[in-house]
Amino acid sequence: MAHLAVSDVRASYGALEVLKGISFSIEKGEIAALVGPSGSGKSTVLRALMGLTPITGGEVDIAGETMNYSSAREVRAARDRMAIVFQQYNLFQNMTVMQNLTLAPLKIKNWDKAEVASEARRLLSLVGLADKADAFSDQLSGGQQQRVALARALALKPQILLLDEVTSALDPELVNEVLDAIRKLADEGMTMVIVSHEMAFVREVADKVAFMDAGQIVETGTPAELFDAPKTDRARDFFSKILRH
Amino acid sequence: MNYNFQFGVVWENFPALLEGAWLTFQLGCFAFAGGALIGLVGAALKTYAPWPIRFLVDCYVVFITNTPALIQIYFLYFGLPEVGVRWSNEACLLIGLTLNAGAYLTLILRAGFLSVRITEIEAGQTLGMSLLQQVRYIIVPHIAKSIYPALANFFIVVLVMGTSVGALIGVDELTGQAINLSSVNYRWLEYFTVVAGMYVVLTFIASIGLALLGRWAFRVKARIF
Ligand SMILES: Nc1ncnc2c1ncn2[C@@H]1O[C@H](COP(=O)(O)OP(=O)(O)OP(=O)(O)O)[C@@H](O)[C@H]1O
Ligand SMILES: [Mg+2]
Repeated sequence: MAHLAVSDVRASYGALEVLKGISFSIEKGEIAALVGPSGSGKSTVLRALMGLTPITGGEVDIAGETMNYSSAREVRAARDRMAIVFQQYNLFQNMTVMQNLTLAPLKIKNWDKAEVASEARRLLSLVGLADKADAFSDQLSGGQQQRVALARALALKPQILLLDEVTSALDPELVNEVLDAIRKLADEGMTMVIVSHEMAFVREVADKVAFMDAGQIVETGTPAELFDAPKTDRARDFFSKILRH
Repeated sequence: MNYNFQFGVVWENFPALLEGAWLTFQLGCFAFAGGALIGLVGAALKTYAPWPIRFLVDCYVVFITNTPALIQIYFLYFGLPEVGVRWSNEACLLIGLTLNAGAYLTLILRAGFLSVRITEIEAGQTLGMSLLQQVRYIIVPHIAKSIYPALANFFIVVLVMGTSVGALIGVDELTGQAINLSSVNYRWLEYFTVVAGMYVVLTFIASIGLALLGRWAFRVKARIF
């Protein structure tokens, strides 16, 4: 049974249908990458999964359970199982790194204080920021903030992690520290859906790639299949542009 | 320049000046607190209410911020008795100052409402926060922090400039008290020198208190002067 199965999901911004029937599935511990041109709907897929952009049709199943996005209360079930890291980190500015990590586990989940604190410290060292626990986000570099956001997402022990272009706001020299943190998660067997334009990274970590264009998945396959031998014209066109430089 | 300063008479009446300073402080605090309440409602309406209500809030803000506080207080002081409403001098001053502060604080708080980043709220939502938790952990701390310096500055404006208008309608706050006392024995210069010093001390104490509060609550590095 697929860990995450998305079938024929649709979403609109007002009258504009942005997702026109998206279907894909991933097994536990797999990493799927969504790639495609700007505006093709990659972020919207992740936002729809998290209940931030309303789904107007289709179905999302996690470990065989159908998610219901019809009310704020029921969206919680999806948010319990998945976590998202945004391109712009979106840390809570008025809190320290530690507070960013522990707020939800303590105040929303009511987990044990000592356990939450030690788990937060473990996650901070996983992302290489053990010494920044008491810093505020405006005292951190972009790469550091992005890794805090990653740790914050992991603090709720999600089954599935959604990453939206987590390196695109970063200077090139900061990209690697974030990618390293993601590699470690991949090694630990985390199920992930990543949106990325780092094709070398996608090729390295992703088990499958879905190429999106204009709100649809045009072609899927392994990174090698898609990057080296795309079958559709649109995919060939896109990859020939993006991989040649 | 051979004016002969004689502070003796001022010190004799110092307790009366202290009483004036205390009244000034109370008026400042109450007008600010009341104004903050009005400002909170005004800013919330301005941000979330339908347009006819937003328009009314705009009218209030424009009317108040574009006319002198003294005129507004004169309206209450001279105008209300004409329609049969009689308030004490202190009440006229306090209510006038509160309405005045309310308009400015609507503007300040509105800026705070606008500064809340939707992205932080979305992050909170995806972590499973309810609406109430978003308000409590994201929206309120963010507004408080972002407008704190403006609030602290405005408190000083109300405390010093606002309350001293009371002298013109016979309220014995610090300025009024100084005018009363000095007109008895014409030691204007001595009285106003001491009163100026008292205002500085008053704002100094208030500023330190506000700065400490800000640093403790929001890491705001407020200027003390
Ligand atoms: N808040 C919004 N309101 C209206 N339209 C939106 C909104 N957000 C996105 N869109 C539209 O939805 C479409 C898909 O956007 P989305 O952000 O999912 O694209 P993307 O594939 O993530 O692009 P990028 O690579 O630039 O991040 C675009 O046409 C965009 O203009
Ligand atoms: Mg995007």
